[in-house]
Amino acid sequence: MLFFSAAVWLLVASAFGLIASIKFHAPGFLADCAGLTYGRVRPAAVNSMLYGFCLPSGLGITLWVLARLGCARLAAPWMVAVGAACWNLGVALGILGILRGSTTGYENLEMPAYAASLIFFGYLMMAFWGVVTFHQRRERRLYVSQWFLFAALFWFPWIYSTANLLLQGGQVRGMAQAVIAWWYSENLVVVWLGLVGLAVIFYLVPKLTGRELHSRYLALLAFWLLILFGGSGGIPATAPVPAWMPALSFVTALLGVVTVVAVFLNVFRTTNGKCVMLMSNPSLRFLGAGLVAFVIGGLASAVVAWPFINRLTQFTWFSIAKGFLTSYGFFAMVTFGAVYHIVPQLMAQEFPFPRLVRAHFFLAVAGVLLFVLPLAIGGIVQGVRLQNADIPFTDIAKGTLPFLRVSTMGDLLVAVGHVLFLANLGGLAFQFYRARAVSAWAAATAETKVAEAVS
Amino acid sequence: MNYGPLLFLAAFFALASSWSGFVLTTQLQLGRLQQTNTVASPAVTYPVARPGLAGQGLQVYRANGCAYCHSQQVGQTGTLLDIELTEAGTNQAATIAALLKLAETPADEPSGLSPLPPLAAAKGNASGAALLNGLPKSLLRSSNRPAANAAVKALNATSAKAQICIVPVGPDLARGWGRRRSVAEDFLYDSPVMPGSQRVGPDLADVGTREPALSWHLLHLYAPQAQVRGSTMPPYRFLFERRKIGLQPSPDALVLPADAAPPAGYEVVPRHAAKALASYLTSLRAEAPLYVAPLTVAAAAAGTPTNAPTASEATSTNAPPTR
Amino acid sequence: MTPETNQPALVSAAAAEPKAADAAVPVWLLVVLFLILYGGMVYFDRYGGWFSPQVYAPYRTVEEVEAMQPALGGGNVLQLGLQVYNKPTCVACHQANGKGLPGQFPPLVKSDWVNEPEPGRIIRIVLDGLYGGQIEGQSYSGSMVPWKDSLTDEEIAAVLTYVRQNAEWGNKAPAVTPERVKQVREKSKGHPQSWTPEELLKISPAD
Repeated sequence: MLFFSAAVWLLVASAFGLIASIKFHAPGFLADCAGLTYGRVRPAAVNSMLYGFCLPSGLGITLWVLARLGCARLAAPWMVAVGAACWNLGVALGILGILRGSTTGYENLEMPAYAASLIFFGYLMMAFWGVVTFHQRRERRLYVSQWFLFAALFWFPWIYSTANLLLQGGQVRGMAQAVIAWWYSENLVVVWLGLVGLAVIFYLVPKLTGRELHSRYLALLAFWLLILFGGSGGIPATAPVPAWMPALSFVTALLGVVTVVAVFLNVFRTTNGKCVMLMSNPSLRFLGAGLVAFVIGGLASAVVAWPFINRLTQFTWFSIAKGFLTSYGFFAMVTFGAVYHIVPQLMAQEFPFPRLVRAHFFLAVAGVLLFVLPLAIGGIVQGVRLQNADIPFTDIAKGTLPFLRVSTMGDLLVAVGHVLFLANLGGLAFQFYRARAVSAWAAATAETKVAEAVS
Repeated sequence: MNYGPLLFLAAFFALASSWSGFVLTTQLQLGRLQQTNTVASPAVTYPVARPGLAGQGLQVYRANGCAYCHSQQVGQTGTLLDIELTEAGTNQAATIAALLKLAETPADEPSGLSPLPPLAAAKGNASGAALLNGLPKSLLRSSNRPAANAAVKALNATSAKAQICIVPVGPDLARGWGRRRSVAEDFLYDSPVMPGSQRVGPDLADVGTREPALSWHLLHLYAPQAQVRGSTMPPYRFLFERRKIGLQPSPDALVLPADAAPPAGYEVVPRHAAKALASYLTSLRAEAPLYVAPLTVAAAAAGTPTNAPTASEATSTNAPPTR
Repeated sequence: MTPETNQPALVSAAAAEPKAADAAVPVWLLVVLFLILYGGMVYFDRYGGWFSPQVYAPYRTVEEVEAMQPALGGGNVLQLGLQVYNKPTCVACHQANGKGLPGQFPPLVKSDWVNEPEPGRIIRIVLDGLYGGQIEGQSYSGSMVPWKDSLTDEEIAAVLTYVRQNAEWGNKAPAVTPERVKQVREKSKGHPQSWTPEELLKISPAD
């Protein structure tokens, strides 16, 4: 159920993203509706992507993998379902709240307080049973992925509650609010998404290629580096904060290079350099693409953290491109791969439209490329021109429009991919429930037939 | 060995370290900031809380997500010291000689003194009489304080009066987006603080100085392309109301150019949200000189040597600065 | 929604769950890690301002920030005096209105000590501090710290001139020059600690 609702939210998110993107080309588009101005649609898109898709699907994967690796059944599944419903309600209310104007104003944390508490409660319901499942495991030796997932289960409630309590209640004054918001955002996007995404890669790649993971120590190194330093990279270089904060952010962002290299080495050596292996299985294709995005995104983050380069890319489309690459290009692709693997096993059925899975993959890769590349290049161009005070600002803004047009195409491709994803999942669910209904009906009618025959 | 609790401890420790670094320390340093004094006059406290309508405008800014296109943080890449001659003094020949001598220092010497255009132009011809016209004038530029102090002393010794002007520099400042970088004190009384992360539109940290007129902002919100040619900003017409003109045109009605004007008999009037937002935008200024971001402002009516502690030291004028 | 349907598959699937081998971390990666850590520490040392909340980029240390502060006063002695007074040097105890706190800090408003034509006594007070005794019949529990090490002659002269010529406070006395302050500083060099009012009354203000 988590996955299905996640797919629906993904579609909602891409719809919002498309609207936002189109607004750049035709500023008058939908301008008269207060609920749909860019400033509201964009956070709605980002939030529905993050909280509607990434987090619930990540949670679903977490619960599945923890149950599998521990050889235990998921504890109290009905509670998890209640939690999922609570979560979905919270996200729906939150998105509506953002569109109405009740956004909090902090990036990635825009849901108003009522929605945030629903989301938090829903998460606790789901995560608590995940922890119980982990505790009830029969296989006591821990696999790599379990570290990542267990840490992730705890990570979110801590950062979410801290950020919301401090920021929603107005306890904190002045610039400290923005610093805490940046801290939360980094922790969510880099650490939480990284933990779950890497857990999936470390779980599925060895499993589906039939080989052993190359090194648990490399994975351990990546784990420690990610949790120790991943959450500190969020302060931009020219932020209105004392110099030590951007300096610390820069140093920790550099350490991301080692994390990325460790992960890449691990997977590369696991497949013994034969990347072609990754193309065999449809799920693995997604994982492979996700891994590539992780590496490129991680290296880009480290490079862009250099203050000299940061000044060029800081307020430009490049940072949006990089964010998209790490959250969608890495996490969403990895999630698609995982969902395409898990759901058929969950429902003991095959996907009704297997060719659509391939189509989704190509659409997704093409979409990501078309979105990220023009925005990255456009962003660099924009940044370089912004340094030159003689170029009027409107010229610079106009110059980014061609890049935006291409990226809108990328958005469109990605959205079509989501429709396919939803179609597949929906078809599978429909098949599953239909099969169950048919067999239940057959059992019921068989009983009556037997009863008739007897009497 | 039961790794479960170990994992928990590991995650806890890692999160605690980043929390204490970025949340706790930030609260200790920035969350408890108090009002500070400007360096030009200790009697002026900074910042002042935004007046009521501007405070409501902050909420309109938040609700409409303006921070997704506009940043509110100006950066600075360096600080230069300009040596400004304020009075010519009695011994003009000696002053001119001293100036020419200071201009002779090679640019790569550690003193970092270099002549500004008026002085550089006079270097060629020996008669520098024109130098002393149009005072106060900045004539030399330095990058280190002791050299600048020495230059000022040398000039003061010739009975002229010179002073050091502190000039922050950077690409954002060169674009006219502010006089100095933004610092945490600028956001002390705002909730929420939205420094923004994109510059789809220009930076707004100092927009109240650039465009102090409410009407400019109202027109910009209603029809951005009419106000700024080539703007990609969407119009925010829902913040306004188009209604039939009553007995008399409303004093609030916007003056619109022909292509954006309503049909005859109608007028466009800003709603409360638009007025609040415009008021907030005009309250955005970041030019007060502070200890953490020093800057020299034009000493306006500071010529009054009164003994009373005045609170109205002219540290920031309301006139838009020259770019 | 749950793995119930997979129960029989679980046991056999357990064998298919991935395992991790024990290859060691390559040494070069650890070297890179340490290099980055070291470089990062060097960078933070240079650009991090050592956690000071007063250092904003592009400044790197508090000394750099200090060096870029505008000169006090801007040429006007009274302006400089006001700034020194509010640094907060004097305002903390003698208050912004110059009235001090009864029983703790003496007022500077309409004070005979302040309005003495020759400033010798009050220069000594500012230089070395004051403690105990009685001033104009009142005793004050607060003690005044010496400022000879924190303020320059120019600053002391400016703040005393400001106080002595403050019309709002009803003071009207001649200005104090930096040279006079220097003179008194030389003369009272040997004095070990704060003055008491009785000691000061024995010294002529013209000294």
